Amino acid sequence: MRTSVLGLFKYVDLLLSASGKLKGEGYSVTIISPVPLVHEIEHVEGEKKSFLRYFTLFGGISGFAFGMVLSLGTSALYVMPRGGRPIFSITPFLLISYETTILLGVIMSLLGFFAIAGLPYFKGLPHFKGEVECPEAAIDSFGLLIEDAGDDKLDYVEKTLKECGASEVRRVEAQ
Amino acid sequence: MEEGTNTKFTYREVNEDLINFMTKTGPRYYIILAVVAASAVTLFFLPWAYQIYVGQGVTGLNAPVYWGVYLVNFVFWVGIAHAGTLISAMLYITKTPWRRAIARGAETMTLFAIVVVSLFVFAHMGRPWNLYWTLPYPSHRQLWTNFMSPIVFDVFAIGTYLTSSAIFLYFGMIPDLASLKHNATGWRKKLYTILSLGWRGTDKQWLVQARATMFFSSFIMPLVVSVHSVVSWDFALSIVPGYSKTIFAPYFVTGALLSGFAGVVLMLSVIRWSFPVFRKYITETHYDRMGMMIFFLSLVWSYLTAIEVLTGFYADNTFEWESIKYKILTTPSMQLFMLMIFSNTLLPLVLMVRKVRSCASSMSAVCSFVLVGMWLERYLIVPNALSRKFLPWMWRDYCPSWVEVSITAGAILFFVTMFMVSIKIFPLVSLFEVKEDAGIPMEKEGH
Repeated sequence: MRTSVLGLFKYVDLLLSASGKLKGEGYSVTIISPVPLVHEIEHVEGEKKSFLRYFTLFGGISGFAFGMVLSLGTSALYVMPRGGRPIFSITPFLLISYETTILLGVIMSLLGFFAIAGLPYFKGLPHFKGEVECPEAAIDSFGLLIEDAGDDKLDYVEKTLKECGASEVRRVEAQ
Repeated sequence: MEEGTNTKFTYREVNEDLINFMTKTGPRYYIILAVVAASAVTLFFLPWAYQIYVGQGVTGLNAPVYWGVYLVNFVFWVGIAHAGTLISAMLYITKTPWRRAIARGAETMTLFAIVVVSLFVFAHMGRPWNLYWTLPYPSHRQLWTNFMSPIVFDVFAIGTYLTSSAIFLYFGMIPDLASLKHNATGWRKKLYTILSLGWRGTDKQWLVQARATMFFSSFIMPLVVSVHSVVSWDFALSIVPGYSKTIFAPYFVTGALLSGFAGVVLMLSVIRWSFPVFRKYITETHYDRMGMMIFFLSLVWSYLTAIEVLTGFYADNTFEWESIKYKILTTPSMQLFMLMIFSNTLLPLVLMVRKVRSCASSMSAVCSFVLVGMWLERYLIVPNALSRKFLPWMWRDYCPSWVEVSITAGAILFFVTMFMVSIKIFPLVSLFEVKEDAGIPMEKEGH
């Protein structure tokens, strides 16, 4: 089992300074928090890009194509005379495509979210690498998890976390 | 209190308040829930079963008025569904902080309102088991849906809206369920563990969560506008006097938002009165901001109503004129029209006064009238226009039967039942967003 070090912080600025220090020294650092700290982290580390937009873009484009193919294609395959109106009428077909663009865009965004966030994350799934129990960070504390620090560096990491203002530091093992 | 901050509680308190609210339920709640659910079954499902057994003849629908109260309710409930998504999506995009405490409740309201919408589609259909005829699928009849029909637009728009709203609601709830599983026990713990999908709250996960929320919001905003526009085209694309109006799309969207916001305020008030624990989360600030929105929407709605009537006069068309005369100068429509104007135009003017806006009781009173007024607006369009369709030999007054009235009342109770069950299983306020409201703790001020 891998041993990791978990530092719990009451204040986000202390957490971020500890995170920056350990990241700078080459450690693998994960922040666990009960609230999103996107703005705060980007304020320190700069804007981060996510692949999610490609999922969304793909969903939107394929949704639009699906709507157009469905309405145009089936109008061609099953000709239905409608009082002299054109068989292919782009305006109403655009409306159908508009809705399918949104539908598939939303669905693909959700799937992209799951893929990037690594969800679902349960025991038995191929990407499951163990989970560190840290209920405090789901409620009112901010956790800084340093994974695979190496047995000889554990003491140093613990000391650094304490110096940076962690209210509690403990060694944890991924379950 | 500064907008977007609420320091009346700590992070831990939020978890404890929510889990206590969900788990500690007194017998009074169960009794009320049982009565409401039983009434919903009695008033909604039994008359509907009777209608299916006997046929549509038990309703007040007859030539030429084939669209009655069921479709009035359909349009009304689509409107109610609008504010939830708007509060979540539009106010998220514009980074409006006061939305945080009320967004989840409004989203829940949206989802159940769309369920009610779907039920009215079924109630309106004489043979609801034939719903699949509206869906595109290959069949031996070689018939496909008519993609030029606004009814098919509806199927796509409402279907997309239902799916997107459900996704939006569940997606936003994942971090909260992960947080609550630590406070929960028994079946709740199992349920929250499964539904939270192993969410850990890492920086990577929060980043993609924030990006996804932005994408969802960006998709759902135009969807909100399109759904009620499409609903308005059910009417506006026809040639019936009173229906065929180009102003209908913005008119319906504005009306939907007005009634939706009023619905949210009323729902928040009932929650605040029933469960005092929520008073620290839903504050005067929320009422004040919602009051401003309702006041603004009321002004826009009033302008569009004036346009709707005046363009009928300008048209100089006898059929259109007869339709307007029937709507605003003939009893009982005239009285209903006056009540609508009072509820949606005159009464909301009191919201100019900040004290009125900030007070839960006065806001609830105004919003109750707005809801009545908005229902009347739809009633004065849907069956009324058909009652004066072209030549006098086609005219016929419409009066809903007891079955329609009962199903209308039952739908409200069914909505309340779903809501009452839901808020005891899933968090009514977004934990992580409310915690953001309390502020991100920093040792150094102004970081």
